[in-house]
Amino acid sequence: MVRYLARRVIAAAVLVAVVSSGALLLTRLAPGDFASELFGSGATAESIARERARYGLGRPLGAQYLDWLGRAARLDFGVSLVYHRPVIELVRQRAANTSILALAALLLATAIGLPAGIITGSRRRGFLPSVIRGLSVVLLSLPSLITSLVLVLVAARTQWFPTGGMQSAGAWDAGTLAGLADFARHLPLPSLAIALPLAAMIERVQSQSMDDVLTMPFALSTLARGVPRRRLIWRDALRPSIGPVAAIYGFVLGSLLSGSFVVEVITAWPGLGRLMYDALRARDLYLVAGCAAAGSLFLAAGSLLSDLVQAWADPRLRQREAGDPTGATT
Amino acid sequence: MRTLAAAALALIAIAALAAPWLAPNDPGETFRAFLFAPPMRPHVIAPDGSWRRPFVHPLRLASRLEQRYEEDVSHPVPLRFFAGGKLARLADDSRGPWLPLGADREGRDLLARLLFGARTSLGLAVLATLAALLIGAMAGGFAGYRGGFVDEAIMRLAEFVLVLPAVYVVLVLRSALPLVMPSWAVFSLMAGIFALVGWPWVARAVRTVVATERTRDYAAAAVSLGAGPGRVLFGHLLPACRGLLGVQAILLLPSFILAEATLSYVGLGFPDTVPSWGSMLHQASDVNAIADFPWTLAPAAAIFAVTLAANLLVEKSSRVL
Amino acid sequence: MAVSAIVAVSGACRREGPGSGTKPPIEALVSSLRAEPRTFNRYAGRDSVLEIVTLLTQARLVRIDRRSQEVEPWLAESWATSADGLTCTLKLRQGVTFSDGAPFTSADVVFAFRAIYDERTGSALGDSMRVGGKPLAVSAPDASTVVVRFPSVFGPGIRLLDNLAILPRHKLEGALNAGTLSKAWDLATPPSEIVGLGPFVLKAYQPGQRLVFERNPRYWRTDARGQRLPVLDRLTLEIVPDQNAELVGLQTGQIDFAQSEVRPEDYATLRRAADHGKLSLLDLGVGLDADSFWLNLRPNRPATAKRPWLLRTELRRAISHAVDRRSFAETVFLGAAVPVYGPITPGNQRWYSPDLPRFDYDVAASRRLLAGLGLADRDGDAVLEDRAGATAGFTIVTQKGNTALERGAAFIAEDLRKAGLAVEVAPLDVGALIDRIERGAYDAVYYRFLTTDLDPALNIDLWISSGSAHVWNPSQAKPATDWEREIDRLMARQVAALDPAERKALFDQVQRIVAEQLPMIQFAAPRIYVATSTRVVNATPALLRPVILWNPDTLGVR
Repeated sequence: MVRYLARRVIAAAVLVAVVSSGALLLTRLAPGDFASELFGSGATAESIARERARYGLGRPLGAQYLDWLGRAARLDFGVSLVYHRPVIELVRQRAANTSILALAALLLATAIGLPAGIITGSRRRGFLPSVIRGLSVVLLSLPSLITSLVLVLVAARTQWFPTGGMQSAGAWDAGTLAGLADFARHLPLPSLAIALPLAAMIERVQSQSMDDVLTMPFALSTLARGVPRRRLIWRDALRPSIGPVAAIYGFVLGSLLSGSFVVEVITAWPGLGRLMYDALRARDLYLVAGCAAAGSLFLAAGSLLSDLVQAWADPRLRQREAGDPTGATT
Repeated sequence: MRTLAAAALALIAIAALAAPWLAPNDPGETFRAFLFAPPMRPHVIAPDGSWRRPFVHPLRLASRLEQRYEEDVSHPVPLRFFAGGKLARLADDSRGPWLPLGADREGRDLLARLLFGARTSLGLAVLATLAALLIGAMAGGFAGYRGGFVDEAIMRLAEFVLVLPAVYVVLVLRSALPLVMPSWAVFSLMAGIFALVGWPWVARAVRTVVATERTRDYAAAAVSLGAGPGRVLFGHLLPACRGLLGVQAILLLPSFILAEATLSYVGLGFPDTVPSWGSMLHQASDVNAIADFPWTLAPAAAIFAVTLAANLLVEKSSRVL
Repeated sequence: MAVSAIVAVSGACRREGPGSGTKPPIEALVSSLRAEPRTFNRYAGRDSVLEIVTLLTQARLVRIDRRSQEVEPWLAESWATSADGLTCTLKLRQGVTFSDGAPFTSADVVFAFRAIYDERTGSALGDSMRVGGKPLAVSAPDASTVVVRFPSVFGPGIRLLDNLAILPRHKLEGALNAGTLSKAWDLATPPSEIVGLGPFVLKAYQPGQRLVFERNPRYWRTDARGQRLPVLDRLTLEIVPDQNAELVGLQTGQIDFAQSEVRPEDYATLRRAADHGKLSLLDLGVGLDADSFWLNLRPNRPATAKRPWLLRTELRRAISHAVDRRSFAETVFLGAAVPVYGPITPGNQRWYSPDLPRFDYDVAASRRLLAGLGLADRDGDAVLEDRAGATAGFTIVTQKGNTALERGAAFIAEDLRKAGLAVEVAPLDVGALIDRIERGAYDAVYYRFLTTDLDPALNIDLWISSGSAHVWNPSQAKPATDWEREIDRLMARQVAALDPAERKALFDQVQRIVAEQLPMIQFAAPRIYVATSTRVVNATPALLRPVILWNPDTLGVR
């Protein structure tokens, strides 16, 4: 097990290095750079050239990259061109905000999607499964851009929730409780925008897997033994059927932690996705690389989590992966 | 249900093929006086309550800045069927065009764009989905069957692709490519990109199933009976993933239709002269438009219809097996 | 006019807080920013958020009233210009203190000039505060007098000083001497350190969320009735990156006003909110900026070697003739625009010249001009070909995601196709677009530059052939054409003239040449609408951004 974990951690480190390098190099190669936006703002060609020199943007790609890589290996991801602040500090700040949103959205999506998937997977006909199935297809086929806009519109019309932001100005002045209450009012809109399509995805995957499990011989024999169908579904079939959801679960968590820029931009949530979006637009290449590093770290961690959960759900896999990493024997 | 879904998909495909005949207007034609014009539905009952042959009320601009139109009920214009190479058209278009589903922000016929867009979007999404399934099933099956180093390498590669910020790749690509590309080039480029971005999802799921299935008795039996790895993998293990592949296809198909909108946002989309659902949807994603001109969400409804039909179809077929 | 009506009710400002009972009543407004601040140091940056922060927290020697375009006394209460126009002596206001209580003296002004011209600061402000590339010389004979000496006679004169915020010497001189001024006052600086002479002080910065400003109790200005300014106790700038969300915020009253004008497509929504009494929608008349179309006139491009007609004036005139400007205003700006024929719109009342040559909508004239270039339909496909038989066409690049620009480019392309030219549109994201403009890798561009100052002498880089903003053929070693040489000559005189009438006459000549040669073609200028919540009183909206916050100290709450 320890060996397995060590191997995964090394793989994750390689992944983070490759992705953040890739992000840095691609941002560097993409048309335009940090100084481009000075153009059209009345800056002279000389001052644009000076700006480029100041930030080392004109240096040869190789030298710039190796320099960055050397420092990144010591966990120094450089200084943001835009904010003049260490990248790691900016990323940490925003990642905290995103993780709150990610956890809320994931809990919400699981709470909705998993039971819904069990219901549709265990019953073929009936009013409720059809409604759930229809709803999840609707949610899956709407882009998050439209979902978030519609939610913002609903919030604006009904005034149930604030239409954006994470906290009201001065929310904490009236005490911790008032601050938390204000926070809780801001959370539903962005987390719903993320959770709704996610719930639909979990529902679809769980539904299929539950259906597969219920047609297995053990399920039929359990039924034949006189175990009530309800107990079979919610107790005996649940654990073997959870594998596919578990397979995407950690992964989804990872991708949520790396930030959804569409939702964060529209609902003005100060998260990692928006930081990345801003950094990309400003061609702030060190910040882009830092965000990419954070995002891929979360994804790698999520994928590891996925495998661990999956191993828990299917002991045969655990045995193979932990006891016999080469997989030579079965 | 299954026949119904299949029929619906067939209908959509036929409608896409018959677009030039079904659409009353050219999809690229802009009616400058009809920005965001509302749908003009055909009537059969005249204002006085009597039945007539199908006709429409032409639109009259009430406020340009507010994009408000009124129906001019005093001058009904009858529809003429099977004339001039069209299913239906206005007998007299001097009072403005017929826009059955209304117009977009540039005054183009939404129905025409929807029909012609179906050709682009569905063709692209289906092609890309098939390619992603093929690559994903091969890679995932191979990884799950062989295990060990091969498994590790393929899965790490899949993870790498999944976390790769594809938008940057596209931005760099965009700068390297000519400014205006013929639409077939855009089409194949996009299909390629989608397949490359989509396969890891499939591969991860397939690998899980294959890794489990290969320990089952039937697989062991096949091996002991002398079946080669290829035979076991393709003959026994991958078929076990059929249901899973169906679900993956359902998840990928609509996301590819939508991804096309994102790509067109970064500049790698189809030129404006080639309508597509993704770019139509992207145009409609504006709070005002959703609230004031809900008909611009027609592509969302179309994507929904396709997804729903495909869903029903695959769900039933996987049950039957 | 609606604006003057709003200004007239300014007296109705009462002190009344939204909260009741427990808290003392405060007057607070909320506005929005579309981007994150990058620094709080005006000498280090130049983005629009920094500009707004500076307007709120700092002050300059003189201010240009953004509505009348007149220079008004600010930190300097009076000034005198020498007979030769080279020297200006400014008398500073007495008894002014920074928000931390330190007195403001001429030493702060001298420091400001030293800071922006310092090589190590690399300040962009230093570039715009030069005349003919040379810095201004400044000296302080005593604590309340400053003498500014221009390197050469400069027509706009003291207007230039409107750019220069006077930052506190006692807080920043250490950094300047250490050569680290460009890194001073970054986002991690405690707000209490950021002191200034402006009406507000920064109270808090919550990254990704908002900036909170509170009144500067030491602010030096009073209103006409002797009341201390600013009127507001607090001003919050919410960071709202998405324009849709900003619009919804305006509608629901979460935001009292935005920094920019209303987009034409948002007008209907806001008009409805105004009809329900939630907003006031003010019509400021014709805007200052018209979207510009230009062809790449750089010589020696491979594209122009094959298609030399791309460089010809006749082509540009034919393009101007081919586009139906009236319909353009109605389609692209939904009718909220007027047709224009040059870069200076009727909204720029001081410099607009009404009687210039116009190449108005006339497809037949357009076709005649194209035929004169040897472009004719040789194979009967309704598309023109040149003498070599190649299809006559080009690609217009524009900014992706900007609806007015995308719609405008599509409109132009369509009208040009009607005239027989095979024109395509390629919308690009901003970075890629600017990269192409800088490298000259394009045929034609449709884009919008934002006016920052109305005086042509302060936008000299656009007009003269050696300027870097002379977009169609920038940074020329010597003028490529006779008309560009003539403009160079006229602009050199225009910058150096002191008499306003003479400067206007010279610039009229420049506009005439531009109208004949059409290096840039304009089609329509939008009408500008500004929306504020009905809570806001005493707003003085202007055509330049930020439309409201350029004058923040008299803003009040109903």
